[in-house]
Amino acid sequence: MTAVIETSGLGKRYRRTWALRDCTLAIPEGHVVGLVGPNGAGKTTLLHLATGLQAPTSGTISVLGAPPPSSPGQLGRVGFVAQNTPVYARMRVADHLRLGAWLNPSWDEKLAQQRIGELDLDPRQRAGTLSGGQRAQLALTLALAKRPELLLLDEPVAALDPLARREFLRGLMEAVAAHGTSVVMSSHLVADLERVCDYLVVLVASRVRVAGEVSALLATHCRLSGPRRDPDTLPADLEVIEESHTDKQSVLLVRTGEPVHDPAWTVLPVSLEDLVLAYMNPANEMAVRRPQLGLV
Amino acid sequence: MIRLSWLQFRAQALTAAAALAAFAILLAATGPHLASRYATSAITGCHGGTCFSAAITFLSQLQATSPYAIVYLLGIAVILVAPAITGIFWGAPLIARELEAGTYQLAWTQSITRTRWLVVKLVLTGLAAVAVTEALSLMYAWWADPIAKAIDLGGSTSLFSGGRFSLATFATHGITPLGYAAFAFTLGTAAGALIRRTVPAMAVTLAIFAAAQVVMPLGVRPHLIPPDHTVATIQSVDLDFGNLTATVVPRQPGAWILSSEAINAAAQTTSQLPAACEAAGSGLKPSSPGPCLESRGFREAITYEPGGRYWPLQWIETGIFLVLALALAGFCFWRVSRRRT
Repeated sequence: MTAVIETSGLGKRYRRTWALRDCTLAIPEGHVVGLVGPNGAGKTTLLHLATGLQAPTSGTISVLGAPPPSSPGQLGRVGFVAQNTPVYARMRVADHLRLGAWLNPSWDEKLAQQRIGELDLDPRQRAGTLSGGQRAQLALTLALAKRPELLLLDEPVAALDPLARREFLRGLMEAVAAHGTSVVMSSHLVADLERVCDYLVVLVASRVRVAGEVSALLATHCRLSGPRRDPDTLPADLEVIEESHTDKQSVLLVRTGEPVHDPAWTVLPVSLEDLVLAYMNPANEMAVRRPQLGLV
Repeated sequence: MIRLSWLQFRAQALTAAAALAAFAILLAATGPHLASRYATSAITGCHGGTCFSAAITFLSQLQATSPYAIVYLLGIAVILVAPAITGIFWGAPLIARELEAGTYQLAWTQSITRTRWLVVKLVLTGLAAVAVTEALSLMYAWWADPIAKAIDLGGSTSLFSGGRFSLATFATHGITPLGYAAFAFTLGTAAGALIRRTVPAMAVTLAIFAAAQVVMPLGVRPHLIPPDHTVATIQSVDLDFGNLTATVVPRQPGAWILSSEAINAAAQTTSQLPAACEAAGSGLKPSSPGPCLESRGFREAITYEPGGRYWPLQWIETGIFLVLALALAGFCFWRVSRRRT
């Protein structure tokens, strides 16, 4: 497995506070990867380190098998759509495309024009007067037309209404399908990621809590409900992620390699959102301190 | 990158061009009249002592004529303020606006290093800022040439009194405007890179640049080249008797007087006329206390820079500001690339 982003003990400190600390992960190529985590988990910092916008305070990071981009050639291989999708408010839409064309040797003018046409953006309109959704689409167009091998997106849809959100993700998916680009997209909205991501990394307080292909995650997690029971008496191959108990009943979210056949339990599938929320909940942190299965 | 910089700088460049054009029109509308007044004045063809009085007549008539006094002052004000304007409105937002609006994340993730991004931005905008100020200065020097010549001949009025070493004239003529403009622009850029917010960076730029405009002529310029000293007889000195200061150094036309004071027969400095000479000095005729003081052994001690040091001083002052500008530009590069390394 080749990693598009690989970090080891990666840390970034701003003055006295650590935005990211001792982060070790490997994100495989050829996926649309959702990077999920609560606010302050270090998602933005991780992406800024991967784009080369920030330099790590400690540890190492490699992007597409090389240090984070600093040379023009490396910069061209990584596309970035920043949080809140900043564009130059006073520049026209067409000027942004010219910016892309002037600064990127790999610029795909046809792709850019085609997207602007499909999005029905007026090339003469100033970017500052675009709606949030249009602005995000313009920023995505700039990043896509650069034809990067790896596209990084930092909460690109967080500020958009549901319709604009769907349109944005649809555009992203079309481009990714056409060009085979690897994508890493951060979000704290699991519902968005569920639609587009086939790989998930849950980052909580700089640590990878769980990572893996979405289908595998869904296949290896389930919810058990049954008579009250001490989780320590469960078989060893059941890893309890989340537990809640009443006087008579226990409900557990577990990770397991094997189907659960114990008739005492009612076995229910979990949604991706429930799964992610269970991993993100700090109250469950103790439960998953045990060695993790599979990919990190 | 050059094309992008131009695209983003175009509106400001047009504003500057319009301001330059307005200034040029104002000077072109009044300059030829001023030159013809000088050509037809008594200064033309004067010789010896008549030049001095011809110059005074020319300047005092000029001061009484409406547009010239205003344009004279306006021109100096514009050249003094232009570097601050470019520093505040071109320099301060150059990096700060990108950081503030988050667009650095767009600009610095294209296939171009941010060092190159900054080189092009700094050089293009910086050269424009320097060129604007120097263009203003050259146009104004052309316009004010007759006034400068009359002042060189010793003429002066309450308004037209500054020789080329005077505070307002030295910093607005020659090559010093280049230095001030380069300094103000890089100061604004560096302040923006450090503070990361445009408006506070603008305020800091204005404060520091204004301080530099005061500190340089008052605190630094007099010490750039060690001054000469001379002791002259009272009668050979053109003396302002109100406070016993010399206005002209004997045999040193166009010298810059840094300080002067009367010394009495006991070689002590004094600022008071002896009572016996006071009566003579009470009249408006300034020459009258001279012989009185002379006979009592008074002399005048003068510290000055000879007129020939005008260009050396211009070069040194400009050089200082250019070195500061380079240092500030270096700081900007360090600040911008430090986010990576």
